[in-house]
Amino acid sequence: MTIVARAGRTLLLMLFASAGTILLVRFAPGFFSDSREMDAKYATAARSEMQAQNQHQVKSWLHGDLGQSRQYNVPVVQLLGARARVSAWLLAQGIFLGWLLAACTALPVSRLPQGGLLWGAPFTLLLSIPTAAMATACILSDAGGPVLVLSLLIAARDFKFLRSMLHRAWRSPHLLQGRAQGLPAGALLRTHILPNVTPQLCALSTLSIVTALGALVPIEVIFTVPGLGQLAWSAVMNRDLPVLVAVSLLMACVVGFAGMLSTRTVTLEAA
Amino acid sequence: MKKRLPAAILLLLVLGGVVALRLSRYDYAFQDRDATMAPSTARHWTGTDELGRDRTVRVAAALLIDLTGATVAAAVTTTMAASFGLLAAFSPRWVAAILMFLSDAFLSLPWLFLLMMVRSVLPLTASPLQTAVTTFLVLAALGWPACARAIYRGALVLRSADWMIQGHACGLKTRQLMRLHLVPHLRPLFLPQFLICIPAFIMAEANLGALGLGVAEPMPSWGAMLLELDNSALLARSHWVYLPIALLVAVLLLLESFTTEVETHA
Repeated sequence: MTIVARAGRTLLLMLFASAGTILLVRFAPGFFSDSREMDAKYATAARSEMQAQNQHQVKSWLHGDLGQSRQYNVPVVQLLGARARVSAWLLAQGIFLGWLLAACTALPVSRLPQGGLLWGAPFTLLLSIPTAAMATACILSDAGGPVLVLSLLIAARDFKFLRSMLHRAWRSPHLLQGRAQGLPAGALLRTHILPNVTPQLCALSTLSIVTALGALVPIEVIFTVPGLGQLAWSAVMNRDLPVLVAVSLLMACVVGFAGMLSTRTVTLEAA
Repeated sequence: MKKRLPAAILLLLVLGGVVALRLSRYDYAFQDRDATMAPSTARHWTGTDELGRDRTVRVAAALLIDLTGATVAAAVTTTMAASFGLLAAFSPRWVAAILMFLSDAFLSLPWLFLLMMVRSVLPLTASPLQTAVTTFLVLAALGWPACARAIYRGALVLRSADWMIQGHACGLKTRQLMRLHLVPHLRPLFLPQFLICIPAFIMAEANLGALGLGVAEPMPSWGAMLLELDNSALLARSHWVYLPIALLVAVLLLLESFTTEVETHA
């Protein structure tokens, strides 16, 4: 698929996501409605007031403010700016450390003929613990923080894929021959394995981003990190739907863009 | 044998939950105000929470509610995914493109954000039972895209199989082919998809509940029970506070092990 087609598809996905979220918000009970509407005496005035509010909402979207936050009473874009930086830094650290941990464990384990199940057991255990519980355990034991929880989660998710990917690569005939000829493992890894598994690694990185974004909410809420996850949670609790729509769209953009990049990388590699 | 052991332990846990609920004198919502935050006693084997509710009964009820909810949600999701996947595989290309685009749109948003959004637009006055049903229905409604993609790929491969072409040549209708040949062939794909969804939904409910967006009180759920871990006074009094999380991890590990075995044999 060409870059243009892929970008078009991603754009269409985002448009679809925005239409879906706006529809969801429009029909949410209690949203865009006023108790005065129940009283015939005030109904007309309330409706015209709501219409003005809706128009203001649309205008602020067109203006680039992404609407007005109901709980903070500030433009949504102002809230997103500062918090996006915090979340992006947390995501970058978590994903980097998670990948490092998964790769450092998967590389030696993938060369073992047996015992992969045993080495994978801690990661399986980690996958069975809800993120919220893992974060609470960190707070209770007064050890670790949001980066540790995020990186453990990413490592647990990616280890299985990395191990099986590398396991297959080590057992391919040309590598067996290279090993039989006495080529060092580092050289084999650099010249044969990494170039072959790069497309899969790119696809896996998109999966890591989606996983990390999903884990962002419980982690930021429990560790009180002022990021996008916490903002989304507080928007849900206070029914601040303009903020929620903006955060969800931002997430859709990030995932769509990451997916687009990974597919493009795979295409380039295949070429 | 490997497959039967986790299934047997899970069955025992469920039976234990049913027996605990049957034998107990208390309801999961009953508050023993004379025994709030009590440690293990003869009246309350695993102690009580901050409202004096019996922990054994609440853990047993949470186990049954979550397992039932997740199983039903997984069945709904698999049915939806199978319908979408099969429809896409046996429709003209443009219909398949639209259906797969729809699944991509769902996949483009992280699960928890979608769940939070859908949960946030529900009425605030919903009863605990309604919130439980809604939570699992929302999970079912949002969990189908990945399964649908897997089933679509499997069905595409089978569509061009020799026996399918022969069936068409013999005059069998697409519906007959699907019912008699395709669905039985796809069963090894449906079962792991169904089984994968159960722990995923339990985990999602636990995370939602821990954020206060899952099943509403007083109905017990894993997520709501995880909130007990935030109460330092309760933690200092009894180690039984860790029972729900320990049981949850055990159940998830057993489900994971069972699913892996089924996948390996499928």
